[in-house]
Formats: sequence, C-alpha cells, structure tokens
Amino acid sequence: MTPQEPQKAQQAKKAQQAKKANPPKTGLQLSFLLPLIGFMALAIIAAIALFSTLSGTRDVSQLPSVMVGKPVPETNLPLLEGAKTLDLTAFRGKPLLINFFASWCAPCRAEAPALALLSRDVTIVAIAYKDKQADTISFLTQYGNPFAAVAMDYDGQAGLKWGVYGVPETYLVGPDGRIVLRHAGPIDRRVIDNEIMPAIKALQ
Amino acid sequence: MIAEFGHFALIVAFILSLILSLVPLIGVARVDHGLMRLAMPLTYGMAGGVFIAFAALLHGFVTSDFSIALVASHSHSTKPMIYKISGLWGNHEGSLLLWIVILVLFAGILAQRGRLMPLALKVRTLAVQGMVTAGFLAFSLFTSNPFSRLDPAPLDGAGLNPVLQDPGLALHPPTLYVGYVGLSIAFSFAVAGLLEGRIDKSWARHVRPWISAAWCALTCGIALGSWWAYYELGWGGWWFWDPVENASLMPWLAATALLHSVIVVESRGIFKSWTLLLAILAFSLSLVGTFIVRSGLLTSVHSFASDPARGVFILAILLAAIGVPLTLFALRGPSLSARDSDTSENTDQKNSDFALISRDTGLMVNNFLLTAATLVVLIGTFYPLGLEMATGARITVGPPYFDATFNPIMAVLVVAMAVGPLLVWRRGIGPARRMALSAGGVGALAALLAGATLASGLSIAALAGLGLVGWLGLAIIGDIAHRLKPWQTGALSGRLAAIKMPVWGMWLAHGGMVVFLIGAIGNGVFQQEKIIRANAGDVIELAGREILFKGVEARQGPNYVTQTAILEMRENGQLIAVMEPEKRFYTAERQSTTEAAIRPRIAGDDYAVLGDGDDAMGYSLRLYRKPLVSWIWTGAGIMALGGLIAVFGRARNYRQNIKVPS
Repeated sequence: MTPQEPQKAQQAKKAQQAKKANPPKTGLQLSFLLPLIGFMALAIIAAIALFSTLSGTRDVSQLPSVMVGKPVPETNLPLLEGAKTLDLTAFRGKPLLINFFASWCAPCRAEAPALALLSRDVTIVAIAYKDKQADTISFLTQYGNPFAAVAMDYDGQAGLKWGVYGVPETYLVGPDGRIVLRHAGPIDRRVIDNEIMPAIKALQ
Repeated sequence: MIAEFGHFALIVAFILSLILSLVPLIGVARVDHGLMRLAMPLTYGMAGGVFIAFAALLHGFVTSDFSIALVASHSHSTKPMIYKISGLWGNHEGSLLLWIVILVLFAGILAQRGRLMPLALKVRTLAVQGMVTAGFLAFSLFTSNPFSRLDPAPLDGAGLNPVLQDPGLALHPPTLYVGYVGLSIAFSFAVAGLLEGRIDKSWARHVRPWISAAWCALTCGIALGSWWAYYELGWGGWWFWDPVENASLMPWLAATALLHSVIVVESRGIFKSWTLLLAILAFSLSLVGTFIVRSGLLTSVHSFASDPARGVFILAILLAAIGVPLTLFALRGPSLSARDSDTSENTDQKNSDFALISRDTGLMVNNFLLTAATLVVLIGTFYPLGLEMATGARITVGPPYFDATFNPIMAVLVVAMAVGPLLVWRRGIGPARRMALSAGGVGALAALLAGATLASGLSIAALAGLGLVGWLGLAIIGDIAHRLKPWQTGALSGRLAAIKMPVWGMWLAHGGMVVFLIGAIGNGVFQQEKIIRANAGDVIELAGREILFKGVEARQGPNYVTQTAILEMRENGQLIAVMEPEKRFYTAERQSTTEAAIRPRIAGDDYAVLGDGDDAMGYSLRLYRKPLVSWIWTGAGIMALGGLIAVFGRARNYRQNIKVPS
C-alpha cells in the first residue's frame, strides 16, 4: 500500500460529498424557464393588440388628455424658415389643428396624406418634435407641406408643456384658444370622419 | 391550368411535410432505420412540390397571366422583365412562397450533403425542418393562396408599387430570406438536439457552417436593404431605425452571438444550453422579422399588405415555433448543462473551468454585449406596442432612443473585438498581445489627435467613434503582423500557410467592421448638405464645389415619365459630373417616386434630390456631400466575405481531415 492510495480514497470521498451537497440539477430551473416566460409575456401583449385590432376597439381607445378644455400652453418656438417665432394667437377666431411630428417617425409618414386632405377644411400648424432642421425640410419636401406654419421644438420642451406622449400627436384648438380634442397616433380617414371633423363642426 | 397544377403541387408538398414531421421521428423512437431513412426521400418530395409551385407562379408572372389574382394586382404588361419576376416576391403571398422555397431548398441540401452526420441527428433535424415547412405551407394554403383566380380576368394588371421596382429591391428580399431561413437549420439542429437530449462537439461542428452561411446572407441582405433605402428613398440616410429594419437587425445580432458561442461548444464543449437558446432565439427573431409587420401590429413604411386576420395565424405559428422549443428548453436544458460536467471528467478535466482572462470569458463578453444589443432593439421596437396596450397612446421610438442605448453597447463591443482574438482558451492572453494592443493604442490615440486637430468642434461621441476605429483597425493589423512577422527573413510563405482559413475569415469579418465604422462615422460627422429652392441658372456652392442648376426637363422611361433636373458640378472650374436627379411618375400605378442622383466615389458620394416645384416658383433641391458613405456597405460586404471564407475554409479542412484515414 503506497501512501498516495488513502489520499486518493479520501479525495474520492470528498468529491462524493461535494456531489451530495451540490447534486447536478436536472429538474426545472428558473433560469431555463425565463426565456419561455419572457416570450409568453410578449405573446400575450401581441395577442391582446391583435384581437383588439380585430374587434375594432384598438383605434378608438384614446387616452383623454388632461389638457383638453385648457388654454393652449405658451409655445414660443422658432419657425422652420426665417428668424420669427411661432405666434399661436395669430390663429385665434378659427379652429386650429396642432400636429406634432418628426422626420424620424414612421407613422408620421403614413399620416401625411390625411393631413393634406384635412388642410382643406382647417388650418394646421405643425411642430417638429426633437428633430433637426434639415431633416424636417427633407420630410416636408418628400411628403408635402400643407401647413400654415412649421415650428421647431428642438429639445421637446413644447411637447412637454402640451403633454405629448410621442409623435405623431394632434390637438384641435377652438377659436377661443382652448384645446378641444387630442389624438395620439397617426391620423387616417376614420379618425378624420369620426373624431376630427365632428369636433370641428361642433365648434362652428 | 398551370396555376392549378402549381396549387396542387403545393398541397402535395404540404402533405409530404406533415409525413416528414412525424414518420422519421417514429423511426428514431423505434430505432427503425428504414423509417428513419424515409426522411430523405420525403424531404426531396416536399422540396420538389414547392419548386413546381414556385415555377408555376413564376410562369404566371413572366407571361403576365392576369387571371391569377396575385399577378393582376402586382404586375403589369408594360413592366420590364426583371420587375415582372421580382414582382413575384414584392407582395405578401409571393414572398411567403419564396420563403418556403428557400426553406425546402436548405432542407434538401441538408438531406443530400449531411452524410457525415449521425443518422439520428440528421433525421431529427429534417423532421423539425418538416414541421416548420408544414406550418408555413399551411399559412400559405389557408390564408395566402398565391394561385387564386380572377373571373373575369382583367385586361391589365395594377402594377407593382413603383418604389419596389428597383434592382436593389429585386435582390434584397431573396438574400435576406436566405439568411433568415439559414437560421432555421440552426433552429432545427437545436430542437433535434433537445429531442435527443444531447449536444456535443460534433453537433456544433455540423451546425457551424450553416450558421456562418446564414450570417453571411443576413449581412448582405441587410446591407442591400440599407443601400436601397439610401438611394431610393432619397432621404440621404442609410439607416432609419424603422421597425422593419430593426426586425432584420435583431436576428443578425443574435446570429452574430450564435456564430461566436458555437465556437465555444465546438472547441470546449461548454456553453451548450446557451448556444441552443441562441439558435432558437435567432430563428424566432427571423420569424418575427418576416411576419410581424404583415400582421398589422407595427406601423412601418416598408410593410406591404398588413392584414390583422392573417395576424392570428401568424401568432399561432409564432406560438408553436417559439413556444414549443422554449418549453422543451425549459424541460431539457438543465440536464444538458448537467451533462457538461459529467463528460468533462472523462475528456478534458473540468471543462467548465476557465480563468478570468481567457478566450472563454472573451466570448462570454461578446455574447453578453450582443444579447444586450438585441434586447435594446427589441425593446425599442416593441415598447410602443406595449405602451399602446397600457395607455392607448401610439408613439414611435426613433433614433434618439437608439443613439443613447444601442451605440454605447456597440462601442464597448468594438473595444472588446480588438482583445478577444488575442485571448487563448481556458487561461491567459496570447503572445500577440503586446504588438496588437500597443498598435491599437497608438491607432486610437492617432485617430483622436487627428480628429481633434483636423476638424474642430467634434462631439465627444464622434471623437470616441474615431478612437474606436483607430483602436480596432490597428489592433487587427498588429495581430496579423505578429503572426506573419514580415520583417523576419525566410519562409514567409510557411508562416502564411500556418494560418488557417477561419482565422483569415475572422480578420476579414472584424476588418469589415472597421471599414463599416469608418463609413458610418465619416458620413455621420463630416456630411454637408444644402436644401434650397433654385431657379434655372442658379449656382449653389457645397463642400468646395459649384453646382449649376440648368433646369428641369421631361423624359420618357419604359413605364414612367420623369421630371429630370440637370445639375452641372464643377470643382475648381473643372466640370466633374452632370447630376440628374429625377421624379418619376408611374402611369399604370399612378404613383411617383424620387430618384436621387448619386456620384459614388471612395472618398465620398455626391447626392442630389429633386423636390417639388415648377419653372415659375423654382424647384426645391437637396444636395449632399457624404464623405466615405460607401464604406458602410463595402464594410458589410467584407464582413460577409470573411464569413464565407470561414465556411469554405472549414469545409476544406474538414474534408482533408476525413480523407487522411481512408
């Protein structure tokens, strides 16, 4: 019997003990369940979105804005062209649409034709939200400029005052300068016919 | 008649794919080699049916058979032939069929080529591939039949969306699909491994070329899409963080992580369950990328036909294709990693042991960063949807978010990219470290100094970007120099030959990243632009050039008419180019597109776009000088080339290794 052998046996025993204390885990483990849980959470959101779209409830579920009924907040923004600043009081006496948009926003491109259509019935002032001047000009060149004025909200301060969730977002302002309606998300035919035009008619 | 035949072939392929999903698995369970070997002919039959269906639809498009509803709504008799063909996949039904074609093509290649694979693994992989195919064939047949007829047939078609009538876009979807679908093979391998309950080095060796090939195709496909957006959208940009772009970027990021983690499985036999998860994730993201925009869940400029009713089917497919493997992963994954340590006792001692500074850690960092980047993009893409569910507000998350989150992660990744290849397995850093890292340090400093002195007023982010380029670029060169030692006398060829193909592939792929960064940063920092309203005869100055606007003329194209602006560009009084940006009006589709005029050069592109206007009011013109912008796509091409060399270099090494004993 060499002196190493008992040592070896001891080592083997230790290893066995270690195994007992730390048995190889083979059952369910949380870390292996996490991907499934994450995926299911995403899938549930997607399913709710999908079925609410299918049942037609999704488009109309708009959050009421705390700004509705209040006078327009002070909005001293530089205009896109020239050195002047935006003066919203100049538009008093008629219904006015304020449209927050950005060149980097895909739904804004989608709503451009609808805004062009609306501009025949109501004055629209656009506010470019967190955008660069050059990008805004490109956007207007590409998708049309039906706006009475375009102002630049470079740092999003005006958006904050208006309570903008994200672009695109549109506000209807009454002749008295009070906010009548707020629509978050892109404008399409349905929004025009069911929300914006009825609200404008009610003002007149 | 031919369309009905194609439809029938598609139904036959569907039935064969159902059999393929089941019978070979029964064969594996019963250890019945006859049943197992059925997987191969079933795969060929399924592939044949889909090919016939595709050929039938192609015939419809080429001969402009407007009695087929799909041809009538997406083609036109006056369209050039290439766009008649590409019109096939410029729509939902046709692109879905193209997807399935590539799916069965890859299954066929696997059935034919994978002779060296263990039969059970191969058969299981093919069966899983059959299940995926069955799901898509069902989707195509039941919700998106490309062969529906119109009665009576219209006299002419409605035409293809003019924006899609473009050579870049004719190639972009097929390339991207090869990448997406290539990941389906990795996915099928992963699910087969989970079914078998065993992942080993041989599994990794067989799956790795597929991952590399898919990654190459994805890289090319995304680059083509970005290039298309650059010259066709006329925005002057090359990446917009649009949901569709993000949807292709996410699988690329996951595939890049997978590409690296499978190396660890092959070389060291660890990271197994993580690699499986990545394989499932990468293909899941491909599925999401292909289909989420078609379900009407996300708004995008790129999306064709979005139809919520189809969305339900898509969601069902996603649930089955992602949910089932993830469930399998939750059940089987733990035992797979437990087996890691079992096998390690008889092979390498304590496999899962590695030092803090080691290639194992390096690749772990790589995977961590790439996964984090994937998650950041995932959140940026789906956060608007989640917010909408919670509050009803629809918003867009744009570049401001991604600049603040994605870019810093990538910056850390680039820092690590210089160090990773120098590390050695299990412990330590290789002998090339001194040369490569000091070269990288010198490069970073030189780039920072050059940036700070040559151009004033650079932002911190721009300077950091320049430093990164110098760091990674020179570190790679230092690494290569250390391996080749060109200053030593004698037998450079011997040292050249000693470097294996995959190592060259790695250097090229990483070097491609440097080239890409040079383009992205150069264009982002040094771009100059002018947007003006001009009348004929006006001279505009931009970046040391004088551009004479000579006026606008009308021209006639094959299926459109144009307004073309003539711009003469002079440098130091010398005429260097005539730029002709145009607006096209497609008569059949009654739509117009903007065609930028681009003068591409290595040093940078000149880019001109014609906007609205008339002779009385003047025309709005957008002129750009975009330094180094073409390096962006060149870099992506070099990356893909590196991947390709790794695929074929490995295949050659592998064949040579096999031949030796025989």
